[in-house]
Amino acid sequence: MRWKKLGKVFDPSEHRLLGGTSGYAQSPQALVFDDFVRVYFSTREKDQTGKFLSNVAFADFDKAFTKVLNTSTRSVISRGGLGCFDEHGIFPFNVLRHGGKVLGYTTGWNRRISVSTDAAIGHAVSEDEGLTFNKIGLGPVLSASLHQPCLVGDAYVRVFGGLFHMWYIFGARWMTEPDGVTPARVYKIAHATSKNGVDWVPEDQCIIRDVLDTDECQALPSVIERNGTYHMFFCYRNATGFRHDPKRAYRIGYAQSGDLTNWTRNDADLHVFRSSGEWDSDMQCYPHVFEMDADIYLLYNGNEFGRFGFGLAVLEN
Amino acid sequence: MATSLSSPAMFNWKKLGRIFVPQDIPGRDWLKNFAQAPCALVLDTVVRVYFSCRPLPDAQGNYVSYTGYVDFDRHDLSTIVAVSANPILPLGELGTFDEFGIYPVSVLRSGSDVLAYYGGWTRCESIPFTVSIGLAISHDNGATFQRQGKGPLITSNVNDPFVVSGPKIRRFDDHWYLWYVAGTKWHVHDGRVEAVYKIRLATSEDGYRWHRSGENQIADKLEVDECQASPDVFKFRDRYHMFFCYKYGLDFRNSERGYRIGYAVSDDLVNWTRDDSKAGIDVSSQGWDSESVSYPHVFEVDGKIYMLYLGNEFGKHGFGLAQLTNGADQ
Repeated sequence: MRWKKLGKVFDPSEHRLLGGTSGYAQSPQALVFDDFVRVYFSTREKDQTGKFLSNVAFADFDKAFTKVLNTSTRSVISRGGLGCFDEHGIFPFNVLRHGGKVLGYTTGWNRRISVSTDAAIGHAVSEDEGLTFNKIGLGPVLSASLHQPCLVGDAYVRVFGGLFHMWYIFGARWMTEPDGVTPARVYKIAHATSKNGVDWVPEDQCIIRDVLDTDECQALPSVIERNGTYHMFFCYRNATGFRHDPKRAYRIGYAQSGDLTNWTRNDADLHVFRSSGEWDSDMQCYPHVFEMDADIYLLYNGNEFGRFGFGLAVLEN
Repeated sequence: MATSLSSPAMFNWKKLGRIFVPQDIPGRDWLKNFAQAPCALVLDTVVRVYFSCRPLPDAQGNYVSYTGYVDFDRHDLSTIVAVSANPILPLGELGTFDEFGIYPVSVLRSGSDVLAYYGGWTRCESIPFTVSIGLAISHDNGATFQRQGKGPLITSNVNDPFVVSGPKIRRFDDHWYLWYVAGTKWHVHDGRVEAVYKIRLATSEDGYRWHRSGENQIADKLEVDECQASPDVFKFRDRYHMFFCYKYGLDFRNSERGYRIGYAVSDDLVNWTRDDSKAGIDVSSQGWDSESVSYPHVFEVDGKIYMLYLGNEFGKHGFGLAQLTNGADQ
């Protein structure tokens, strides 16, 4: 497949975003309307301890992505209260239309002591075309389990054949950075199904083969169907040293499936993506594939995990 | 005698005194203080009682909890035969749900295995801890256990958003029941973050896949923020009896607002009628259980019915035993 990169389309420093005083526009995810496209993302502010909190915002674009029409002026979805799974942020935020509503799936973050954080997946519903979302409860709909012990997040939900499918990630283990002290997480892509979008049955296996090593971290799967084949875009990196070494940083991976169960990984099919000297030269992450007016687009973040915004590519063939 | 098969108007418990004092057990770094949440497994010659305990705190004053066991002579429950040399499970790995504590443990025989459902503790930044329920299995009569996974079996969900703790596993008529304690709120008071928790029920057909209604099982008596724990269900004279403990939500580290033992009865395991006046056990006028009584566990051995329970300071100084005097052998 051949992608045409359209460059960075959103820079958070050019907008005043509620809950976004520290920059960042991470994990862009699209909701297409008749005459515009709404892109949700997570931005950041600092709390009184100096640590980041992630908040969901959106920007509405014209369909050519040439200008930002609006940004969210109200809270799209609130963080959880004291002790809730999403107390310290929601990132990322996945949306889909279903039954006249917009369904939202959150990844909620809560800080720990021995490791930095844990995460679980929450669910919320919008009845105002995605302007605001109400959580269905204070707790998560998918969280750690016997064989997926921590860090459940990055939900991407679609309905295929009348069944809800969720691709998501789980933490397989925590290890340490080469300093022997700093905890580093290892996470993998998995799959769950549901009849109603609320009660989920996770499958216990990893579905995407590692290409780096067994500590490879895989994140943010998104899936699209074309002519009976399912295409998954995700990102992956080394477990350690990934923040400052471009060779170990996030890049985009690809897999395809004919049956939604067995996936064949082939990152080379992407024919992207590396740039030099650009906003996405050292890192490419958090891809989100979507269809709009018969074209296939890929939103993604670049250097520093989306601190400087997100960009777009369009499939040429 | 016509009433002998119905439930007693009130349970009469004869206190037999404190039978285990953790400070008396030498040579175990993991067992220095506390013997909490006692749970009995009746073996051929001994009654094995699991309990949760703590080593000395670390330099920051933080504790971890381990679970071990003590074997009592089956025919004389005041005689200690052995104490486990090691905890029944090591703490969990970095970043897992049971990294900082395994407390409490509830055991159940299943064929030749012994299953242990347990609370796993981890530490959080904005709240002091959270708890999820794990599962471990023993193939050696409950001496050692192996985790069934690095993660929890039951953890927070939409209806149970906070701690999920205090499991009590039971099987009646081939159905599995797990009473547990669900956090319903965290609140801040005098600079401390305190949990409110209620007794809830999960059901299963296999012990692995659990269904939770998210509904409180026992009506509050003290206040909306009443905390309830140790839901210990016991079938006796064709009815189901639950002994549990309860306390006020705040300022509970004293006698007036601390734990007491409550009681409820049910015919269907779902609808419970609370009547603490029937519990038949309360604080003593002096001694090790003069300020509070908590964490009841009722079991039967050789035709006699006993209750294990904690006294002052949440079991810091051990647990005691009481015997039902209007019990099965009358």
